[in-house]
Amino acid sequence: MTIWAQILTFARWETKKSLIVPGKKILPHAILLLILLGGATLMSAESGLHLQDAMYSVGTDDPVFAGIVASDNRFRVIVLDRTVLTRYQASFDLVMVEGQVLPADTDRGAAATGALMQVYDRYRNAVYSREADIFAAYPLLVETATVKSELDFSAPGSGAQLASQVRSRGSPLPSGPVPSIAPPDPVPAISPEEFRAGMIQSSGSDGTLIRYSDYLGGSGTSASPYQTPSQLSPPLPFDAIILIFVFIFPLYFISQFLMMSVMNERIERRGETLLSTPVKSWVVIAGKSLPYTGAMLAVSLLLCLVVGATPLIVLPLIPVIFFFLASGLIIGMTARSFRELSFISIFFSTVITCYLFFPSIFADVHVMSLVSPVTLMIYTLEQQPYTLSQFLFSTSLFSITSIVLLYTAVVNFREERLFSTKGLVSTGVDFISSMLHPGHPWLSLFLLGMLAVPFVFMAQMLLLVLVFNLPLPLSLILILVAAAAIEEIAKSVGIYTFSTRFPGFLTWKNVLAGAVVTALAFLIAEKLLLLVTISQIAESVFGTVLFSSLTLLWVPFLIHLAGILITGTALRLGGRAGYLPGLCLATLVHCAANLWILRGWLW
Amino acid sequence: MKGRTLSIIMKKDLSALSREKTILLAILLQLFVAMFSSFLLVGLTSLYDPSLVGDYSGTQYRIAYAGEDLPLRFLLDVRGDIRVYPMDLSSAIASLKERKVSAVIYVPPSNPDGPDPITITLYTVQNDIQSAVINVRLKEVFIEYEEQLREIRSSRLTLIPVDLQFPEEDGGAPGFYEFVYGLLLPLLLFMPAVVSAALIIDLITEEYEHRTYETLLSAPVTMVEVVWGKILACFVLVPLQAGAWILLLMLNGIPIAGLPLVMAYVMVSSLALILIGALTGLHYRERTGAQVIFSLAVVVLMLVVLAIPGNPLNQVAVLASGGTVPGQGMILLAGAAAAILLSLAVTRSARGAAG
Repeated sequence: MTIWAQILTFARWETKKSLIVPGKKILPHAILLLILLGGATLMSAESGLHLQDAMYSVGTDDPVFAGIVASDNRFRVIVLDRTVLTRYQASFDLVMVEGQVLPADTDRGAAATGALMQVYDRYRNAVYSREADIFAAYPLLVETATVKSELDFSAPGSGAQLASQVRSRGSPLPSGPVPSIAPPDPVPAISPEEFRAGMIQSSGSDGTLIRYSDYLGGSGTSASPYQTPSQLSPPLPFDAIILIFVFIFPLYFISQFLMMSVMNERIERRGETLLSTPVKSWVVIAGKSLPYTGAMLAVSLLLCLVVGATPLIVLPLIPVIFFFLASGLIIGMTARSFRELSFISIFFSTVITCYLFFPSIFADVHVMSLVSPVTLMIYTLEQQPYTLSQFLFSTSLFSITSIVLLYTAVVNFREERLFSTKGLVSTGVDFISSMLHPGHPWLSLFLLGMLAVPFVFMAQMLLLVLVFNLPLPLSLILILVAAAAIEEIAKSVGIYTFSTRFPGFLTWKNVLAGAVVTALAFLIAEKLLLLVTISQIAESVFGTVLFSSLTLLWVPFLIHLAGILITGTALRLGGRAGYLPGLCLATLVHCAANLWILRGWLW
Repeated sequence: MKGRTLSIIMKKDLSALSREKTILLAILLQLFVAMFSSFLLVGLTSLYDPSLVGDYSGTQYRIAYAGEDLPLRFLLDVRGDIRVYPMDLSSAIASLKERKVSAVIYVPPSNPDGPDPITITLYTVQNDIQSAVINVRLKEVFIEYEEQLREIRSSRLTLIPVDLQFPEEDGGAPGFYEFVYGLLLPLLLFMPAVVSAALIIDLITEEYEHRTYETLLSAPVTMVEVVWGKILACFVLVPLQAGAWILLLMLNGIPIAGLPLVMAYVMVSSLALILIGALTGLHYRERTGAQVIFSLAVVVLMLVVLAIPGNPLNQVAVLASGGTVPGQGMILLAGAAAAILLSLAVTRSARGAAG
């Protein structure tokens, strides 16, 4: 039997056992619930979402105003006599007497006033759109047009100053070439009837939801390119969220099934038959994951069809799919119980959603956004080409970490790992120890060090994305400390595993040798990764903090070496109890060294 | 049902939970979210209502003005937060691309009292947060100018809307307030309910799949006691988690009023959800199926509940923001009645499951 046939056999088995058989069991209820879901959707479409009903209480002496206000169910309106109203004014968020709006002096009062303004605007528009001479009621039309521009990365903290002018000093005149641009046509290409129809159609709904749902459906959102000033709504800054919900959420959902299937093999040693088959563990894993990979790809392609995007949009998603699969496998293999599985998977999905979502907010604004593959999806949707190096930049970390995770899963897919019930950290150390070979400690440490680097980069990227919006001195300090801590933890993993799983290994000679090997591995792996990825952002201050090893070779090597030596020494002296203090000290030293390198930027 | 047995079962499940330390992940997640809540608040609020981003800055914006000199130019000039640079259209657009100006306004030659509307063109940078900000400021100016023009053309108007005078100082957009109290707060407070309901499924199905319920039942406990002990274990987590959210929100400067009633709503609704979870778990005795069905059921339930005026999430929103709702005893009672019905169903189902 060829390997391919074996994989297919396992895939078929998995589909039958984990998808079809349980699927049949829940089918009647699932169908019933889906029908109910249809009904519930209709119901909520009919009656709207009642989340903010009666938030504001309004008193008025005029039934006409009461009628206007009551059209919005955020308000609870009471019509009272004027004298009564003035006496009990304090019990209302807002009072309308003789056409005057008198809000209470509270946050609610201010918010109620704002909400009332919206309602009043809607009412005025309803009146004006019935006007015979429509362009007397709407004398000003605004046509909006956008241009593309790109900010360079050498402006850290621009997220914090998101509202401010990027270059507020100097001449406003362009420095580059000025291509000639023809002014737009002064007479609007719209008839009064068309305009009125558009106004009536657009009144009533505030349109926020429609704008998001239309984003995927392509352009052609509004019937006319002209808007009245009050219709003018700011552009959506966060289109990406809809992509996250549409494309990433199904991936998360499907990976849950894989986690559960792996977990099920471990309950009551059910998977023993699976392990006893005379095939390699990677064949079993490949076979098991195949149905889920297929499902993820199929769902993504189907979604492409539904939203009418080109299938190319799935391309940046493929490394993400593998990342979800690989981490699903690992989580399924490590969780001790169902509740642990639930908690870990919720945590994992939140963090990874942050990683995918936050950078993509800045799509079209900032190179930083390329950290997330979702940005490439936005580009595809906007029919904007991206280069191969941009593709590598945003997806290589996902690809490499998936490969490392898959490798870890394959190495550990055996009895003593699957059926152990140790704690999470201990299991993690066990998993790593399977990758170490006591016969070749230096080679193992070296390889482990290299494999840890992509994870370090990923964690640091997440960090970078998160602190990017804080004001500058704070963000720099935070990233300095956190990045050093992450790096020191990653470096110490190998030595820690050796010291706990192979007692007696940690002699003074071995501490030194292990430190040298790990530091070397880190240096080389960083260099390799930098070649592919980081060159994009290496010029910025943040780049210098994170990846200070660009120019000189011996400085980063010494920093790496010092850190791991400190942790190793602490482990040698204090055993496991010495690990945490050693790690803290190493982080401090690392920070100090980075500060020294950064002195040119800071002082 | 014996109280002592119940509390033993409850303690067993709680201690297993704390021994695994994975509940720490849930707390870590809360902290993670709260830590970046400044970013989240700005980010999510503007997601909800992009015009709010404008409130976050007091800087001056540079606008390039091209074309005809209309009174609009004067309205722009008098504003403190906008600086106007007259330019020709081509160089204005080039400046915009280099981000030396935030927006470009082009005004064609036009007649204020003509039959046609005056059509101006606004150029901004695509998909940019700054464009959202400048858009908000310019909108105010445009509305002002629209009023002026409407005044000029007023003799042609036949329908006049009733007049309403707003106070001088700006009320501000209600978006932030409504986002925090009318969306974020109810969702965060009801999240522990969903977590606990998923947890009860895990706890119940685990006993079946690990065949530990057989061992458990050989002790002097009944299945009903086992199930109710687990329900209590999940239920006591709800006030802890919801309390943590309330604390974190308060630390972020969001005061929450009407705490006792808010908590009452959260507890009653959570109990109902946990009971639904328990029913699903008892029926399927297998995690994957139960979780799939339960998540579907939660989506349906949420849609239905939100479509009903005066639902618990709405009540929490109003109460927490310091408002009062008439007749809320009835709503709470209705919730409690639903919970009691569900409890009876769970007890029956557990009794049946023992066999």
